[in-house]
Amino acid sequence: MSLTVDGIEAPAEGTLLDAVLAAGIGLPHLCTDDNLAAIGACRTCLVEADGRIVAACSAPASQFHQVATRGAVVERIRRGVLELTAAMVSPGSLDRPGGPHAGELAAALASHSARLDRYPHRTRTRSDATNTFFSFHEEACILCGRCVAACQELQHIGAIGMAGRGGATRVTPGADATFADSICTSCGSCVAACPTPALSPREAFAP
Amino acid sequence: MDLPSAARSGLLPALVEAHTRCGAIDASEAGRIAAGLRMPAALAWEAASSFPDFERETARGAEPVCVGPACLAAGAIAGPGQVAVECQHRCFEAPAAGEDAPFPESAIRLAGPLLAPEDTDWRGLDAARASGRDGVLAGLERSGLRGRGGAYFPVASKWSAALARERPLALVVNAEEGEPGVYKDRALLCRRPRRFVEGLAIAIEALAPAVTVIFLNGRAQGAMESMRSALESHGDILPAAPRVVRGGGGYVLGEETTMLNAIEGRKPVPRVRPPFPVESGLWGMPTVVNNVETIASLAVIFREGAAAFRARGTAAAPGTRLLSVSGAVARPGVYEVEMGVTIARVLEMAGGPAARPIVAALAGGPSGGFLPESTFGTPLLPGQLHATGAALGAGGLLFLDSPAAVRKTALYLAEFNAAESCGKCTPCREGAPRAHEMLASGNKAGLEDLLEVMAVASLCGLGQMAPGPIRSALHFWPELFA
Repeated sequence: MSLTVDGIEAPAEGTLLDAVLAAGIGLPHLCTDDNLAAIGACRTCLVEADGRIVAACSAPASQFHQVATRGAVVERIRRGVLELTAAMVSPGSLDRPGGPHAGELAAALASHSARLDRYPHRTRTRSDATNTFFSFHEEACILCGRCVAACQELQHIGAIGMAGRGGATRVTPGADATFADSICTSCGSCVAACPTPALSPREAFAP
Repeated sequence: MDLPSAARSGLLPALVEAHTRCGAIDASEAGRIAAGLRMPAALAWEAASSFPDFERETARGAEPVCVGPACLAAGAIAGPGQVAVECQHRCFEAPAAGEDAPFPESAIRLAGPLLAPEDTDWRGLDAARASGRDGVLAGLERSGLRGRGGAYFPVASKWSAALARERPLALVVNAEEGEPGVYKDRALLCRRPRRFVEGLAIAIEALAPAVTVIFLNGRAQGAMESMRSALESHGDILPAAPRVVRGGGGYVLGEETTMLNAIEGRKPVPRVRPPFPVESGLWGMPTVVNNVETIASLAVIFREGAAAFRARGTAAAPGTRLLSVSGAVARPGVYEVEMGVTIARVLEMAGGPAARPIVAALAGGPSGGFLPESTFGTPLLPGQLHATGAALGAGGLLFLDSPAAVRKTALYLAEFNAAESCGKCTPCREGAPRAHEMLASGNKAGLEDLLEVMAVASLCGLGQMAPGPIRSALHFWPELFA
């Protein structure tokens, strides 16, 4: 069975996100990176697949035929999710230098003409600069979970977790812990995965 | 069989034990538990800090006062020396106060085959054993039983899908029942535990699971004691003692993949699907998750026969189901009704209004919606009862007798869904609090756009269905939120 994405033939293997990207089409996927299994947290990779709106990161490509990344409804909803995401970061915090993927959120907001002030901002403001190689600024964190998955599933370290629930959720090495007094090995996987400048290399180590 | 990942799966039981012993769990207590289980402290903390019950001091001295929707509608308010708590699932005696108590027989208002007095033999189990796995699956298929947790997925299809993997599988009984306004599983476990045990034995007989876990609500002490005693008395009919895991609170815990994470000692948040639990669930095993009422229904089906089961209800939704009826009616309690009965008929069975005429019903709780009295001819069937949100769900029906009560309940549910968001996905975590603010302030510009984003984009049912109470209230009573 063939799979098309926006009319372009695409391999029906892996996930719909794989197919979309293989077809050379851009689609935000703020909680999925190449090294990690789907997390399903950011909800920005929504596509219309055979008439249903699904998250491309966790939809098997073999189960669908016609996929559209464009369309009034799916774009409106993606923009809505991105506008809620934008309200999590403080204005200007995305301009800071960061890791290799740090520009992903800014690019997604721009490509969707998302209004950054659609919703009142609700940002978290803690910072942690205790690690020699990187620092963490919550004001740019969108709780996508990439860093936590990189630490727990990729590196099998478990230095950080997503503590708390609902609006109190935050990425943290422990209740009152800092990176310096955690079991962090400074491997850098979290910084490499972060789609914003929240986890960023210290100036001396910036790429 | 020994459980895989035994160390990590010891986390939730250890947290429950620590909380019972010394109250609210802080980071240092979580750290001590993590060290004992040889797991990283950050992992124990991310799980511990995600169960609302563990934040609370074990109340000593202060009397708990329920401020769930039925009690709120009945005017509940916590006074001096009292502490307000979320729904205590005793809506049949609203306003409720005090500690969890066993479900009283007197609150069983209408009994059918599920709630009939318990049997003294094991005829259902005997019949299932005699027919073997294929016979049980065929009988289940003929009965048309659909899951009673609220999603109404055909049980035979779920079991067949898990068995088709031809790998060791897990059976998980969902006894979390954390939805405000629902207490029917507590009724079954407290009053008809033997029927539950017989159904469980049938499921184990047919599925031959490598692991069986009963996940029971952490606060349902009465149900816990009754179930444990039944499992002990009738343990001889179960090939292996099921593992009983208690929860630590949170509405989302009833979502099946969240429950699987909790059992594994992980942070209680939903997983992406696919893979569905029948493909890869508990520790990656094909997993069947069934609700308490679904399990108990097995005993009825194999005792009476599939045809007798089908004789009740409708062709597409056979059998009876338990309703938890609360609010401004003369006789609130559990009603075992045939699927397809109308809301008007339920209201009549419940003795009609307690005082003032009924103006609305909330069907499906925080994941459902409101219906005005003019729509009470609607039959109670799986799926949505109205496009704006009302659903049969787990069978919770709250009757309200004033527009003011509709407003109060809608605001309560919007706030509840915001507070109960697990925080994993953006549309629910960021959207639900703003939807509540907009509804409460009356500044509703952009609210429908936001509700659409939550409904379509959220990861799990909690976020997807959170718009229901808001949309339905605004649709039928726009003037209340001007």
